[in-house]
Amino acid sequence: MTLNIAVIVKLEPDFSEGSVSYNPDGTLNRAETKSRLGAHSAIASLAAFYTKVKYGGYISICSMGPPMAEIALQEAQSISDADELHLYSDRLFASADTLATAEVLKQGIKKMNTGKEMDIVFSGHRASDGETGQTGPQTAWKLGFTFLGNVIDFSVDLNNRYIFAKRLVALPGFYDIVEEIQAPLPVFIAIDPSYKPTFDTISLRLTSGRYLKEAKERAVNYKSYLNVLDHKKLELDPRLVGLPGSPTIVHKVEKIPKARTTRSAELIEGDDRQGIINSVTKILQLIQK
Amino acid sequence: MAMITTNKIEHNRLTNNNESYRHLFVIIESLNKELIPSSLEMLGEARRLMDNFNLKYNLNEKVIAIHLGDGIKDLSQDLIYYGADAVIYSDDPHLKYPINKIYTKVISQIATDPNSIREISPEYVSAFKKPRYMFFLADSIGRHLSSTVLAELDSGLASDINKLVISDLEIKHQHKTKGENITYKKILEMYRPDFSGFLWTTILCLDNKNPEIKKEFHPQACSIIPGAFLPIIKDTKRTGIISEYHPHFNEEDLKIKVLKQELVKNPVQFENYKIIVSFGRGIKENPEDNIKLIEKLAKLLNAEIGISLPISKKIFHLSEKYDSIYITPNRVVGTSGRKVTPLIYIAVGISGAIQHLEGMKESDFIIAINPDENSPIKDVCDVFIKGRMEDVIPLIIEELGKRLGQTREKEKEIQVNTYGKL
Repeated sequence: MTLNIAVIVKLEPDFSEGSVSYNPDGTLNRAETKSRLGAHSAIASLAAFYTKVKYGGYISICSMGPPMAEIALQEAQSISDADELHLYSDRLFASADTLATAEVLKQGIKKMNTGKEMDIVFSGHRASDGETGQTGPQTAWKLGFTFLGNVIDFSVDLNNRYIFAKRLVALPGFYDIVEEIQAPLPVFIAIDPSYKPTFDTISLRLTSGRYLKEAKERAVNYKSYLNVLDHKKLELDPRLVGLPGSPTIVHKVEKIPKARTTRSAELIEGDDRQGIINSVTKILQLIQK
Repeated sequence: MAMITTNKIEHNRLTNNNESYRHLFVIIESLNKELIPSSLEMLGEARRLMDNFNLKYNLNEKVIAIHLGDGIKDLSQDLIYYGADAVIYSDDPHLKYPINKIYTKVISQIATDPNSIREISPEYVSAFKKPRYMFFLADSIGRHLSSTVLAELDSGLASDINKLVISDLEIKHQHKTKGENITYKKILEMYRPDFSGFLWTTILCLDNKNPEIKKEFHPQACSIIPGAFLPIIKDTKRTGIISEYHPHFNEEDLKIKVLKQELVKNPVQFENYKIIVSFGRGIKENPEDNIKLIEKLAKLLNAEIGISLPISKKIFHLSEKYDSIYITPNRVVGTSGRKVTPLIYIAVGISGAIQHLEGMKESDFIIAINPDENSPIKDVCDVFIKGRMEDVIPLIIEELGKRLGQTREKEKEIQVNTYGKL
């Protein structure tokens, strides 16, 4: 048997230098900032690719977003060698919070690969712009899948339909834990940013090379793999999606007040050698105290 | 007569808005029978909020700590001492590890079962549907747990909150109120710093009052940034009700098993260093060379290296080596990362978003190197060196090299003299 694999990806602002633009007050200039496949979505696509190479499988990738989000799907396909791309695009989906987004994604995932049940769904850790990290687990819950977050490594027992995963559980101010967990399929995996797949046998490397070549070719013709679905095609109740389906609203956005001035800084010009010498003296005095 | 008046007040209370939604549930986390400290921070904020709430609305709603685990019963008393009015715990070997699916179901059972509050507030049992508010921790456990619990309870959730206010708000919203002005009572305003650290977004979880999409959304829930609030001072005179809840488990769910847990030491131990040198977007002109420069400075000072939050988003193209050593979440200083208080903090090319400043401003001595004199970081530092890091750091390194060299020479001299005397 092979696996039915799904990946959820997102088109996000590209925070890399040269693509990102900030307003003078330090906030993101969304109009001037380019968009691309989110970094964590790329890692999720890579995890799906690894699974396909190692165990065999059919990969379906989906994204909810405006029509231009298809470029994120294309990029994800070039990483993962996806067999199918789903874009959930509808004005009714706009401004959804995580619960209303999860409703759309759940419904879409149920329609992947001609309605077969998925074995593993991958998502990124969190989006770089929204940063809630909620959409993945909420989609998992609506699907009824076991959710495994912060996964840094995994293997599948195809015969018994089990997954073995390593998770990095960070508890700030306390401990970090590496946990090994087993769960029956199907599962939903939010992949940790530190995940790095290794193709450690010659046969895996060969398969990987072959699929990667195929992936690049497919991504050129990504439109022939692409299926755009609106709420009607997804058979979604408009009251459960977009703003009407969102329990939460953004009430206001304000600038965070500047921290109170706690110290009055001595200003030293960068080319003031004596000033810098004095600072070094101060550093050395403090260390030697 | 007096009796009737009391009953009337009680009646008024029960027919007040949202009578089916009561209390603030705080989801406590523990590990190996030890409470995770940030759980107590949540309880502290919950205590402050509900004290004001009860005063303002003349109500008697409670802070209820919800705690699951194996052998954790004895921690309940501490939760009372730290601000809870009551504790509902489930103590069961199946709850030894915080397995998302199992914990989600148990918490959801507690949150929807009127019997769970029978001992705690018998007066609300008959009307109780769900909690009014719910708090989780925004860590690797609570972030996901909050998401799945709120998906199960079919209500709204805001993540990574660092300020909370409860108030009555007049809302006019296309969908929620169909464009009408409607006053919502007892709304939890959840403040969330955005990724830049410069904006605060207030999230509200509101019922749909619009007749076309009418729906109630409770609880109003959020995950709270560890370190955002202070716990109350432990008060062993505080008393409260401790109540056990016996959950139902689904056989299928018990096939999910934790095989092993290993505590790992964070490789970045800021606490062990007297000096921290952190860098931000100011390295942009020549990222890798500039990191090498900072590395050199840190080595001379025996300092650990930190980064600002934007840097952790991998915004620069770096070689694999530098990327994997420095561009990691465990180096982030700030409320989204670690709070540090070294003897000397050197901020290189960091403008000073509030979330960064909150994480370092209590350092003993702060030096900032930045070309922009108007950067907010200037307000919290002792020395502000106005200049590009590429120009300033080499000067510091040169001077430090000379002086440390001298010191070492001196040390050698002393050693030689000592030997000489022998």
